[in-house]
Amino acid sequence: MAIFSSALARRVIASAQRREIFKHLLIAPPLLFFGAFAIFPLLFTLWVSLNFWPVGGEHRFIALANYQHILSDFSFRTSLRNNILYPLIAVPLEYALGFGVALLINQMTRGQRLIRLIAFMPMMLTPIVVGFIWKMLFYPTYGPIDFVLWRLGLPKVDWITNASAAFASIVITDIWQWTPFIILIMLGGLRSLPVEPFESARVDGASSWRIFWDVTFPMLLPYSIAAIVLRSIEAFKLFDIVLLISGGGPGVSTATTTLIAYFTSFRTGNMGPAAAMSVLLLIIVIVFSMTFLRITQWVLAHSGRV
Amino acid sequence: MGTASSRARWTRTALLTLWILFALLPMYWTVVTAFKLPKAIYSGPSFIPGVDFKISTLSWQTLLTEERANFIKGILNSIVLASVSSFLSVLFGAFAAYGLARYKYDYKLFKNDDLGFLIVSQRIMPPIVSVLALFIIFRTFGLLDTHVGMILAYTAFNLPLALYLLKDFFSGIPRELEEAAAVDGYGKLDQIIRVVLPLTAPGLAAAYMLSFFFAWNEFLFALMLTFDTAMTLPVIITSWNTRMEPKWWFLSAVSIIAIIPPSIVAVLLDRFFMERRFLRGTR
Repeated sequence: MAIFSSALARRVIASAQRREIFKHLLIAPPLLFFGAFAIFPLLFTLWVSLNFWPVGGEHRFIALANYQHILSDFSFRTSLRNNILYPLIAVPLEYALGFGVALLINQMTRGQRLIRLIAFMPMMLTPIVVGFIWKMLFYPTYGPIDFVLWRLGLPKVDWITNASAAFASIVITDIWQWTPFIILIMLGGLRSLPVEPFESARVDGASSWRIFWDVTFPMLLPYSIAAIVLRSIEAFKLFDIVLLISGGGPGVSTATTTLIAYFTSFRTGNMGPAAAMSVLLLIIVIVFSMTFLRITQWVLAHSGRV
Repeated sequence: MGTASSRARWTRTALLTLWILFALLPMYWTVVTAFKLPKAIYSGPSFIPGVDFKISTLSWQTLLTEERANFIKGILNSIVLASVSSFLSVLFGAFAAYGLARYKYDYKLFKNDDLGFLIVSQRIMPPIVSVLALFIIFRTFGLLDTHVGMILAYTAFNLPLALYLLKDFFSGIPRELEEAAAVDGYGKLDQIIRVVLPLTAPGLAAAYMLSFFFAWNEFLFALMLTFDTAMTLPVIITSWNTRMEPKWWFLSAVSIIAIIPPSIVAVLLDRFFMERRFLRGTR
């Protein structure tokens, strides 16, 4: 008897151990990939930022010298300013437009699917291609935008050598490309709304305007917040469009931090300063995200959710 | 009902039409430019094919003759990298999603519920942070400008997304089905492959398409980690852009081809995500 039960016990334990191993094997690849391609590079970049690091050469520890150097560098400071300005200007515009278009699309009865597809298209295109397309559009002499402006009797804008115009061209392109993202989220939210509040509001004789502000908008607050936060986080990574449309120019007035870091590392071969720039960018994004999280929690707590 | 509401409706239609035009016109311009002659581009903008300019297939001919090598290289690389890395992402993601749905994990720094945080933190980190380090690492291990290196990078890039997407799917499949298979004598692996995976097929397809989409459009990693053999389409387009500007008729043609795969994915995914029953897995 004892022999059988201990053999049985051994079998049960062995299969439980196999299950344990199996369970760990399942989750291992993602954890390994995350460690190797996210955590380790992050720490490594942090280390590189504290070094003079020529590619293929000897690296030398120089502590915070890179940080001192870039903080006094005009290109980097301009890029930081831009990196904050782009989301600050573009995201509210994208939100307002996107919300509006989502409302319009939601009220369509027929052909909504086709309109949705067309509306979503810009954000599905390869960003490099988007950059190229708008570079063509904004180009003086050959591009249609100035031509149309001229035909409408408006002054031609110099999108390339005028710093403000160049900045605006990037913002316009970003709006074209990413407003669909907002539309996507808000449309999802609109479609998930229950009908009853709207019906009772109409029965009570409320105007469309009132209904929007008192019913629609508050009920969609979580979606609005999600849309703005997600969009803003992505906006900090702006790179492809800027590279193609203005190359950071004129000078560096439209450059983003990613762009400057990229140029620095490739033009000087020294990865140290570029790493330091990346770290500072990361810190800014983290600070922004946490602030936004705090604000979100405050808003949701005080909004008296329906 | 009356003139007030129909006026409102007209305004709404007008506004929506404005937006749709705004969305469409740049793409129209690109398509039209792809069929122009250099002369048509340099003499100023022209809008209507046949009327304003002569339709020509010069850019497409160039694509298939002079620039053929680069173009084939770019598009083949993009296809291979995107399809293989997406397959791996979904493969690893599916098994891990099964694990998260069925088992309880408790490593000190990572528990089942921490998945959301993992994903979010990976999205928050600007890619420039990791790509600089990866450049040095890849260089050390001879992975620079290799297909293997890029596939690994893209798999890592898309795994969290695939995992996140699939976790809900796997949670929605009742355990009874696996238990029934176990009674029939199937081992764990067989249970997953024969019973669970087929039921999650729509989710797997969606995760694959989304991963493919992100890998195809990716730029910074490809820019810094490739320079010849493994260059993807966006990188080659960029090098053409600096090398031969402004040969826009040609670049427009390339652009159109480059955006076909993501557009197909967009159409397929729209059908997937807007049909909300798919969102809930199997119920």
